[in-house]
Amino acid sequence: MNQPTLSKQFIFNEKINSDYLFSLYADDYPYIEEVFSVTLQHFDEDFEAIQVAYAGGDIADLKKGVHKIKPAFGFVGLTDIQQICGAFEDACQEATEKEALKVGYKNLVASLEEGKLVLEAEYRKLKDFNANPL
Amino acid sequence: MNLKCVIVEDLQVAADYLAKCCEKSGQIDVQAHFPNVQEALVYLNEHAVDLLFLDVEMPGATGFELLDQLAYFPKVVLTTSKSEYAYDAFEYNVTDFLKKPFTYQRFLESLQKLTTSTPENNITSTATDHIFIKSDGKLVRLNNDDILYIESMGDYVKFVTGDKKYVTHNTIKNLEEKVNKGCFIKVHRSYIINITKIDDIRENDLFIKGNEIPISKAHRSEVMKRLNII
Repeated sequence: MNQPTLSKQFIFNEKINSDYLFSLYADDYPYIEEVFSVTLQHFDEDFEAIQVAYAGGDIADLKKGVHKIKPAFGFVGLTDIQQICGAFEDACQEATEKEALKVGYKNLVASLEEGKLVLEAEYRKLKDFNANPL
Repeated sequence: MNLKCVIVEDLQVAADYLAKCCEKSGQIDVQAHFPNVQEALVYLNEHAVDLLFLDVEMPGATGFELLDQLAYFPKVVLTTSKSEYAYDAFEYNVTDFLKKPFTYQRFLESLQKLTTSTPENNITSTATDHIFIKSDGKLVRLNNDDILYIESMGDYVKFVTGDKKYVTHNTIKNLEEKVNKGCFIKVHRSYIINITKIDDIRENDLFIKGNEIPISKAHRSEVMKRLNII
């Protein structure tokens, strides 16, 4: 959230929308590291809630779970996954039975898992970057 | 003076970001953060705040349900990742609607709306013969003729009628401008009274249905002018 400077630049993974990230935090890399860290800390619990809801056929809880995790991906710049979450949330709104969500759910789970892997890798890289500023 | 705020948000990273925006602005003091409505209500009913940053969809109850149960109206900025609540936001008279994630610039625009909007109060109608106040999560109509007096209780005021008392978040200073001046008069920094309900006046006190109310030196002259003394 500081003003951008040209003193140093971290190159984010191409799956991360770095323009979007900079629009939120400028080049406050320590804070971006914190955002990644907090998001990862809560990811498993939120992901599990989604999986439990789907397994139980509870579409309302499934929608709630996806609704919660959706902006988390926005905060870390994974805007494509945020959109996938949004589309699935809309599908939940329309769906009356679990079967109608099967394909979308599979896609969602794959996206969330991939998002976590990207985030973990970027977090490690960013942590090193911040620890060695020069 | 900075706005005292509470953040009600179940997504930790969003709450942290919001708190950081507040801190950076230098105009908002975050008093607490709660991840659900239940915990927030316990706090908010004990501590009056100026502003709520409120998520809509949370585990348990929604942000709108919190507003329904709150005994007063702080300013409210909804923070959500959906736009479909715009109508409800309008219905609840919220000041702004931040779609998550939002930029700091967008946050500042919201802050601008907060600081330029009219002071929040719990009177929603100032028609000549009645007012509406928010009490116990609902709007209650009080006819001017039913109100005996209004008493300050710090950040709250108590409306006293013949058979009931209503506590709501407001100030005597704010109410002084809102109530019908033909019926009501401020007699003390902590009291506005219905002038038609005075039973008697003894030195520096007046009595309404057995309730003793002080008249300050500053207001005594104006009170005496308004009485129909023959």
